Amino acid sequence: MIEISSPTQQDRIIDLLTAIDTGDVTFTFKEKKGISLYFDTTTDDLEQAAKIAKRAIKAEPWGSILYFRSVPHHQ
Amino acid sequence: MNALTLWLEKYFLPIAGKIGGQKHLVALRDAFIGTIPATMAGSVAVMINALIRDLPPQFFDGYDGNSIPIIREIIGINGFVWNGTLAIAGLIFVFSWGYNLAKAYGVNELSGGIVSTAATIAGVTFAFSGTLSGLSLDEATVTSINDAGWAATASEITAGGWGWIPLGNLNANLFFTAMIIGFVSTVIFAKLMLANITIKLPDSVPPAVSTAFASIIPATIALYVAALFYFVFAKVVPGMTFLEWTQNTIALPLLGLSQGFGAVILVTLFVQLFWFFGIHGPNVLAPILEGVFGVAQIDNVNLFQQGGTELVIEKGYMWVRGSFDAYSWFGGSGGTIVLIIAIIMFSKRKDYRTVANLSVGPGIFNINEPIMFGLPIVLNPLLFFPFLLAPVVSVSIGYFATIAGLVAPVSQQVAWVTPPFLLSFLATGADWRAPIVTLVAMLASFVIWAPFVMAANKVEPESTEENQS
Repeated sequence: MIEISSPTQQDRIIDLLTAIDTGDVTFTFKEKKGISLYFDTTTDDLEQAAKIAKRAIKAEPWGSILYFRSVPHHQ
Repeated sequence: MNALTLWLEKYFLPIAGKIGGQKHLVALRDAFIGTIPATMAGSVAVMINALIRDLPPQFFDGYDGNSIPIIREIIGINGFVWNGTLAIAGLIFVFSWGYNLAKAYGVNELSGGIVSTAATIAGVTFAFSGTLSGLSLDEATVTSINDAGWAATASEITAGGWGWIPLGNLNANLFFTAMIIGFVSTVIFAKLMLANITIKLPDSVPPAVSTAFASIIPATIALYVAALFYFVFAKVVPGMTFLEWTQNTIALPLLGLSQGFGAVILVTLFVQLFWFFGIHGPNVLAPILEGVFGVAQIDNVNLFQQGGTELVIEKGYMWVRGSFDAYSWFGGSGGTIVLIIAIIMFSKRKDYRTVANLSVGPGIFNINEPIMFGLPIVLNPLLFFPFLLAPVVSVSIGYFATIAGLVAPVSQQVAWVTPPFLLSFLATGADWRAPIVTLVAMLASFVIWAPFVMAANKVEPESTEENQS
């Protein structure tokens, strides 16, 4: 699971990440808790998944000014 | 508090989002960021010279780095680095600006950089002149000087020549002219490219050649528009280049305005507000932080290279981009290293203490993501006021200490990840008083943060989270 902390643009983040399919990595939205969004991912490499999510958000026009955190979340 | 949060989210954030996403402003921000490899290398050179040439005389009478072998050579090598970086910072920026603008329009970036550079440099001075007066020259000397092409009288020599671009036309003085001319010329170039007004070559021509050829007509038109403008400008404002005019009528007043206490506080407040709502404050405000305070900083670094702290105090700017880092953003925006200390000292909450302990390491290097999102501070009504207020107070302390001459102005560009006290020491050209000012600012921030940390002891973790949902 990965955790994205962002107080704004949460719906867009969910739409963006759930649409990602790199072949190895996909994201499924699990829950929202405070400013954090949690996503299940198909890869075991959570560090890499968090990086993919971060890159994808930053690549969006609305994401380039966002101050957010994308980190692995170990249950 | 929730009503304020909702109001700000509804009216403030969309505006911030639009500013932050505006493609020209994003290009401007990226243009400044793009120059960092050069400006940072130049700053390292100036800083090393500050440490081996300018700092020791404060402690050792008669020290002269320029007369000590090895030290003298290192100073000379640093001079070369400065020549190629900060001495021509404007020239480096103008290319970066055109490149990033072209990128924003989705046209050939390299050609955009070239057009921006060529159009801007076309209007600078290509000659030098200087006068020596109060002389007593005999007739033969006057004649031979005049024969050589300079102008001389018995009491005065005026030397001049064409084919020399003054360094003052390529350094930080060029920034505002570059922003205007570089912008107009590159946008003309980009619009013509997008309108497909280009030379088309057969598919058999290599891409590098066809791309360059495609840029010929748009680039030529853009450069002729700039040239026509300079021609008309010279007729309307004789005896002054557009660069000189821009400096006098736009750059200097704007830079002067940035030195007011109100402007500094306003910028501080807005950066904090943006952070609080999860928007990257310095990114959104880059046109002001880098475009105004950053230009003032490069000016200070160059002045320091030429005449040390004395010249910076005499002709430079009191508050520049790095001043925020030195006196307010210790541990990251909001002065959060102080919050970490306050939590370790006063917090009884396990969640706060866990996050604070994890945040100490990154905090020393001014990375505050762990505490901003871990605590969290972002969108946390309980910490809204100290997060806004502490930087305002610490900036005020740094500002007035600098204005009062209690500490040297920031005159070095230091990487923002440098630990707090070392950062202000280096940023001020090794002024030992700077870390003391930072300490005073930290203590004031501590006084502001501490009551809120203690108040948080009475709040259940769940209720804080509910406020953010």
